[in-house]
Amino acid sequence: MITLRDVCKAYGQFQVLSHCSTHVAKGEVVVVCGPSGSGKSTLIKTVNGLEPVNAGEIIIDGVSVTARGTNLSTLRARVGMVFQHFELFPHLSIIQNLMLAQVKVLKRTRPQAHKKGMALLDRVGLVAQAHKFPGQLSGGQQQRVAIARALAMDPVALLFDEPTSALDPEMINEVLDVMIELAREGMTMMVVTHEMGFARKVANRVIFMDRGEIVEDAEKNAFFDQPRSERAQQFLSKILVH
Amino acid sequence: MSYNWNWSIFFEPSLDGTHTYLTTLLWGAGWTLATAFAAFAIALSLGSVVGVARTAPQAWVRALSTCFVEVLRNVPLLVQMFLWYFVLPELLPDELGTWLKQLPDAQFYTAVVCLGCYHAARMAEVVRAGLQSLPGGQRMAGQALGLNLAQTYRYVLLPMAYRIVVPAITSEFLSCTKNTSVALAIGLMELTGSARAMQENSFQIFEAFSAATTLYLALNLIIIFAMRRVERLAVVPGYGTPQKAA
Ligand SMILES: Nc1ncnc2c1ncn2[C@@H]1O[C@H](COP(=O)(O)OP(=O)(O)OP(=O)(O)O)[C@@H](O)[C@H]1O
Ligand SMILES: [Mg+2]
Repeated sequence: MITLRDVCKAYGQFQVLSHCSTHVAKGEVVVVCGPSGSGKSTLIKTVNGLEPVNAGEIIIDGVSVTARGTNLSTLRARVGMVFQHFELFPHLSIIQNLMLAQVKVLKRTRPQAHKKGMALLDRVGLVAQAHKFPGQLSGGQQQRVAIARALAMDPVALLFDEPTSALDPEMINEVLDVMIELAREGMTMMVVTHEMGFARKVANRVIFMDRGEIVEDAEKNAFFDQPRSERAQQFLSKILVH
Repeated sequence: MSYNWNWSIFFEPSLDGTHTYLTTLLWGAGWTLATAFAAFAIALSLGSVVGVARTAPQAWVRALSTCFVEVLRNVPLLVQMFLWYFVLPELLPDELGTWLKQLPDAQFYTAVVCLGCYHAARMAEVVRAGLQSLPGGQRMAGQALGLNLAQTYRYVLLPMAYRIVVPAITSEFLSCTKNTSVALAIGLMELTGSARAMQENSFQIFEAFSAATTLYLALNLIIIFAMRRVERLAVVPGYGTPQKAA
C-alpha cells in the first residue's frame, strides 16, 4: 500500500532523512518511534507529499508521490492525516469541518457530506457536538473529530503524527480506543507515537528511527523482546521504565 | 483676535453663484466618500492578492509582491499622487496619455487608483500578518485533505486570517478615508478642497474647517460603527480569549 524507497531529505547541510526504505502492506499497522528530532514527523509528512524529498521514491496504492506529473491533491485526498495539534479549522463548526473537503474535493453534495459526517461523528461518539466549534471541545474530542474528518474522505490509509502527545493523560485513551478500533477493522495505518501500549496491542511492525535513519524495522514482538541495535535498546529502556 | 463669526455663511451662495457653501461642502464630502470607498475596495481586493502572494510557496511570487509592497508604501503618498496624475500620462503612448488627460473626472479616477494601490500595499502587510499568525499546521491540514493551494487559502487560511485582522483593517479604512484629502493636490474637490475654497472666498476659516472636521469625524464614526458590527460577526466561538473592547 505504502512503499518508500531510499528516501533522502536535507534542510541545507542538515540531513533529516537518509535512505529510508520501508513498506506498509494493506491492512497493516506500523508504529514509528524514535528520539526527538530523529525525523519521524518529516518521514510521515513525506508520505503524502507535504514535505518534498530530495531523492528516493514513494508510492501509495500504485501512485507515485514523488513523480513529477502526479496530482498531489488528488492523491492526498485518498490518504488521511492526523496531526499532533489536531488542526481542525477553528472558524468552521465540527460538522462543517467534516464536510468541507468532501464537498470541495470529492464533489459530494452537501446532504451526502452531512450524512457521512454525522455517521462518522456518531462513530467517534460526538454527534452531540456537531454544531459546536473546535475551540469549544476538549483536546481529546478535537482529536477524535480530526480522525473522523480524515475518515470522511474514505482514505485508503491513515497517517498519524503523535496524535496523543498534545493531550492530557486522561484523554489519551479515548483517542487510542478509536485508533485501536480502526486498526482492528483493517485500516492501513502508519503511526508516529510513543504509546508503546498501543504498539503492543495493534501494531504489526515497529520502525525505530534515529538521526534520520530507519535503524530498525521489525515485527512487533521481535522489536520489543530483542531489539537488535543498541540505540533501540537504549530508547526502549528509557521509555518503558517510566 | 478679532474675528467675525458668521455661521450663516453656510447658507450664502458660493463662488459659483448658484449653490450655497453648505451644498459645496456636502458635495466635497460626497467626493471624499466615493473616493474612500472605491479606493478601499481596490485596497482590500488587491491587498489580499498581494498579501497571499507574500506567503506563496514560490520564491519569485514572493519577491514580486515584496517589490510591490515596498515601493508603494515607502514613497510618500503626495509624491505618488503627482506621479499618477502628472507623470504617468507623459510616459504612456501619446494617444493613451491624451485620453487620460481628457477623461472627465480624471482627478477622481487618479485619486482612487493611487490611494487604492497605496493602501493595497499596506493591506497586503495586514493580510500577510494574519496569514502568518496561523499555525503552520493549518495549511498542511487543508492540503492533507486534498484541497489544492487556492482552495486551502480560500476555505482554510483566509477566513481565519481576515477574522484576526479585522481591527487592523478598520484602521486602514480610516486612514484611507483621511488620506483622500491628499487628492486636493491634484485638484479633486473633495471635502478638504471645498473647505479651503470656502475659506478663500469667504474668509470664514473657522466655520469652513469646523464643518470639514465635523464631516470627517462623522464619516469615520460611521465606519467605526460598521466595522464593530463586522468584528462581532467575525468572532469564532471558543477561539482565543475574547476581550472586551471599550
Ligand atoms: N523546516 C526545517 N528547517 C530546518 N530543520 C528542520 C526543519 N524541520 C525540521 N527540521 C529538523 O529536522 C529534524 C527532524 O525533525 P522532525 O520534526 O521530523 O523530528 P521528530 O522525530 O518528529 O521529532 P519530535 O519527536 O520532536 O517530533 C530535527 O532535527 C529538526 O530540527
Ligand atoms: Mg515530530
